[in-house]
Amino acid sequence: MQSLLAARRVPQALALSRRSFASSASRFQAEPTQKPVLLKEFKIYRWNPDEPANKPTLQSYTIDLNQTGPMILDALIKIKNEIDPTLTFRRSCREGICGSCAMNIDGQNTLACLCRIDRDTKSDSKIYPLPHMYVVKDLVPDLTLFYKQYKSIQPYLQNDNPPAQGEFLQSPEERKKLDGLYECILCACCSTSCPSYWWNQDEYLGPATLMQAYRWIADSRDGYGAERKEKLQNEMSLYRCHTIFNCSKTCPKGLNPAAAIAKIKLELAAD
Amino acid sequence: MNTSILLRSTLPRALAQRAVVRPAVVQARTASTNTTTYVPGGPIYKGTVNDPTDFPTPSRTHGSHHWAFERLLSAGLVPLTVAAFATSGTNYPILDGILGVSLVMHSHIGFDSCLVDYVHKRKFPILGPLSTWTLRSATVAALVGIYQFNTNDIGLTELIAKVWMA
Repeated sequence: MQSLLAARRVPQALALSRRSFASSASRFQAEPTQKPVLLKEFKIYRWNPDEPANKPTLQSYTIDLNQTGPMILDALIKIKNEIDPTLTFRRSCREGICGSCAMNIDGQNTLACLCRIDRDTKSDSKIYPLPHMYVVKDLVPDLTLFYKQYKSIQPYLQNDNPPAQGEFLQSPEERKKLDGLYECILCACCSTSCPSYWWNQDEYLGPATLMQAYRWIADSRDGYGAERKEKLQNEMSLYRCHTIFNCSKTCPKGLNPAAAIAKIKLELAAD
Repeated sequence: MNTSILLRSTLPRALAQRAVVRPAVVQARTASTNTTTYVPGGPIYKGTVNDPTDFPTPSRTHGSHHWAFERLLSAGLVPLTVAAFATSGTNYPILDGILGVSLVMHSHIGFDSCLVDYVHKRKFPILGPLSTWTLRSATVAALVGIYQFNTNDIGLTELIAKVWMA
């Protein structure tokens, strides 16, 4: 024990002696440069399922932007860590590839991890869960129906005649058709920004699911295109799309679900 | 953690199996496919959370044919309107009639789309069909009115020209 203490004392003494030989005394006393305090108000939707009688409220949090990372997700994590541990939200990858942190930030559905904090401190930032979804708690929406709908379009390769040997072959042109479709991370930003999906989400599939439906219709390796299209031949599943374009406007990955839906409509009409 | 997931998924199934021995009325309620617990004011899911949603029966009349007809009609209205500007309704009564009928059909499809969006009969079992039939009768009335107006009076194009000049 004593030898341990002694071992720790030696480098300290060394450091002290080094410091005493330093050229200027002011460096020893210098304080690190302080960034100015930049207080910003965040108003965050709160609702607790344990108190269902209480109506949802906007709770205000003020944090110093100069002590926070650049993105909204950083602010949320800072609030949860330092101010209010009961604040609930989903997050995982913090780089826009998991789709967990989709929420409505200043009136726009986007991923909190890809959305920069507006550094204008005069206005507050309002954060809500994805609109028109059942809320589990605070910023966590219930995406069960969204996933059930995604499952209904059978998002996997179906082909009764696989090649005799080796893998399915695809030309570069055929592969190119899938660009802009396969990148979707199913964050549900587009579907929950669609007014048609708000009113009829029990029947209408919504832009995200429809774009994935087209991803499999467009795939040259898939053999069930006709069946996939036949399923959409009704009033509700596809044709509740009224080309509002909120989906393409809001997509945090820069994809274009509206174009995919238009292509499905064209293929169905040409069928 | 794993056991809790297991419990959660097997418990409703066990309950559903027990329901078989109960009287028929109770069985009809509990043996339904809905196994997710209902929270007041919360969502109602058909089947378990792992079941896909189902699709309505396919119908091209309500699907692609309806959409193609609607698009063609909308596109056709553009040259029709231009033609109505260029000609006069009294000289080309057929054109005037086609314009009148297409306009009424176009607005019928538009209003019908609104009704399907907002007062669908699955949510409004009385108001939905009622408004659909109100729209249908209004469309028929408008068609009859257009026919009367075009045959017995100056016709649609002339009327608009007159109002425009007035």
